[in-house]
Amino acid sequence: MELPRTTPDLVADSVAAPAAPAAPRPWRPQSPSLRWLMLGPALLVILATVIYPLVASLITSFRDWRLINSPVPGPFVGLANYTRAFTDVGFLNSLGVSALYTLISVTLTLLTGLAIALTLAKPTRLNVFARTLLIFPFAVAPVLKGYSWRFMLNPEYGVYSKMLGEVFSPLKGYVWLGHEFSALVSIAMSEIWGWAPLFALMFIGALGAIPAETTEAARVDGATGLQIFRRITLPLLAPVIYIVALLKIISAVKMFDQVAIMTGGGPGDSTQTLYFFVYHVAFRTLDLGYASAVSYIIVAVMALLATLYVRTLMRGD
Amino acid sequence: MQGAVNHVPQPRVRARRRLAQTGEVIATLAVIFFVTFPLLWMILAAFKNQIDVYSTRLLFQPTLDNFRAVFDNPVRLGAHVWVSALVSFLTVAITIPLGAAASYVMSRHRFRGRDTLFLLILITQFVPAVVVAIPFFTLFRTLNLIDTPWALIIVYLSFTLPYAIWMLRGFFDALPVEIEEASFIDGCNELQTLRYVTLPLIMPGLLVAAVFAFISAWNEFFFALILTRSDALTLPVTMQTISGPRGPMWEQVAAAGMLVMIPILVMSLFIRRYFVEGITVGAVK
Repeated sequence: MELPRTTPDLVADSVAAPAAPAAPRPWRPQSPSLRWLMLGPALLVILATVIYPLVASLITSFRDWRLINSPVPGPFVGLANYTRAFTDVGFLNSLGVSALYTLISVTLTLLTGLAIALTLAKPTRLNVFARTLLIFPFAVAPVLKGYSWRFMLNPEYGVYSKMLGEVFSPLKGYVWLGHEFSALVSIAMSEIWGWAPLFALMFIGALGAIPAETTEAARVDGATGLQIFRRITLPLLAPVIYIVALLKIISAVKMFDQVAIMTGGGPGDSTQTLYFFVYHVAFRTLDLGYASAVSYIIVAVMALLATLYVRTLMRGD
Repeated sequence: MQGAVNHVPQPRVRARRRLAQTGEVIATLAVIFFVTFPLLWMILAAFKNQIDVYSTRLLFQPTLDNFRAVFDNPVRLGAHVWVSALVSFLTVAITIPLGAAASYVMSRHRFRGRDTLFLLILITQFVPAVVVAIPFFTLFRTLNLIDTPWALIIVYLSFTLPYAIWMLRGFFDALPVEIEEASFIDGCNELQTLRYVTLPLIMPGLLVAAVFAFISAWNEFFFALILTRSDALTLPVTMQTISGPRGPMWEQVAAAGMLVMIPILVMSLFIRRYFVEGITVGAVK
């Protein structure tokens, strides 16, 4: 059975264009009533679970609705919730935290993924075995990723923390989750562990699509390993790197689970990502109007990313 | 230089090659360590007693007490295994038939606005969970659905269904239409063809989509945190309750973690060859 073409084939895409679609022809009876009977239930569910909350949230974002004061929606306040966001230190902080987190986690995940892919590129028996293991971390629930790294980074008994202390003594007993920057990096680590192996799998696929003659010819012409990597491997990997980076950016903007498990937003508010901020405003202080407005600012960011992503996917068709 | 070509490598060249090979093996072992160690360490912790879990020694007396403890009071994880399973299975049970029907139409029917509709379904994957959570939170409060499995199932459909449609369409598209045409010539109508020809052939796709839907429901944390209190807690949320005065009770967290982890690891191995492609559309949520 062929792999399903759920997306333009990431591996083959850079090498061969997808086959042209077959000429449209009335190949069989299509019953229009059956069509809507089969499509209807799914569309209704999507309408109810995606479109309804989107619209309801948008309306709420223009209202003053603090659940603590009143169980019913308050009056419309125009853009007040939106203007409030851009003078709110808490929101601006979380915007910065999310931006920094995205930068750190995307860069490190890509580099780690690339390093793993290059390590496992040669199809030796050991490497092929190692590739099978690469899907495991991603399948682990984000909550467990958070617990696992929090456990291993504990300054008193954490195994990673101890190992690092052995190798580099100034780090002995360092409280990884207790300092602003290292807490953010620690959260990123749990995600890098989940994502980098997966990216490596994609990169390995793309590396396999590079014809051996190309690198062989370059080597005969006297190119060094670094030159081959920069001039041949990297450009051919570029499309995969692009889509993978986009995926990671999207997931980084949505970072929530590990923040809740590992730091609870602290120390101070240094790991309070956008998602965690909205969660706090909506479900701790119960200020639904303001929370909706902030979540719509996230929608705007997502819309931009979605456009980039969809455009990339559609390019192949 | 032609004379230097030799089928037997020079000793120095051979030594250098062996060194390079050793380096490659070490690098691979390092990768294996990085990828598997956090999992292994968690699994080991699940079998440790309270004293051993705070030590990094590799030798310890294994115990099953933690598994007993997490199933007993006051945490009562056992009940939440049931909730998690119920929520995940029902989510899959609704997602797959609806998703299969919709994606069949998306793949095999030609009608105006089809591509736009399909694109819109893809875009729903980008809707941030926080936006969905706020209206559902108030709606479920009004309907008294907070802290019930139903609340979670409804919300989980918001991402499993569009995802299943997107993914299953790929499977339908990959199926040659000639097989269905033959069935038509034999006198089957569309529904019969679907029932006896297309669906059996699409079985692997349905299975893969089901596993992906199951994983995303089983591992979900954000909605479960917001929409449950005590009765309908799923496993990922229950983990938070396993803590003592000094933070999480790691040996029990690890034991509970194994319950969350093992079924998913087994399933992901099962659908390994579809994993990467699946993530490309699925990881968005």
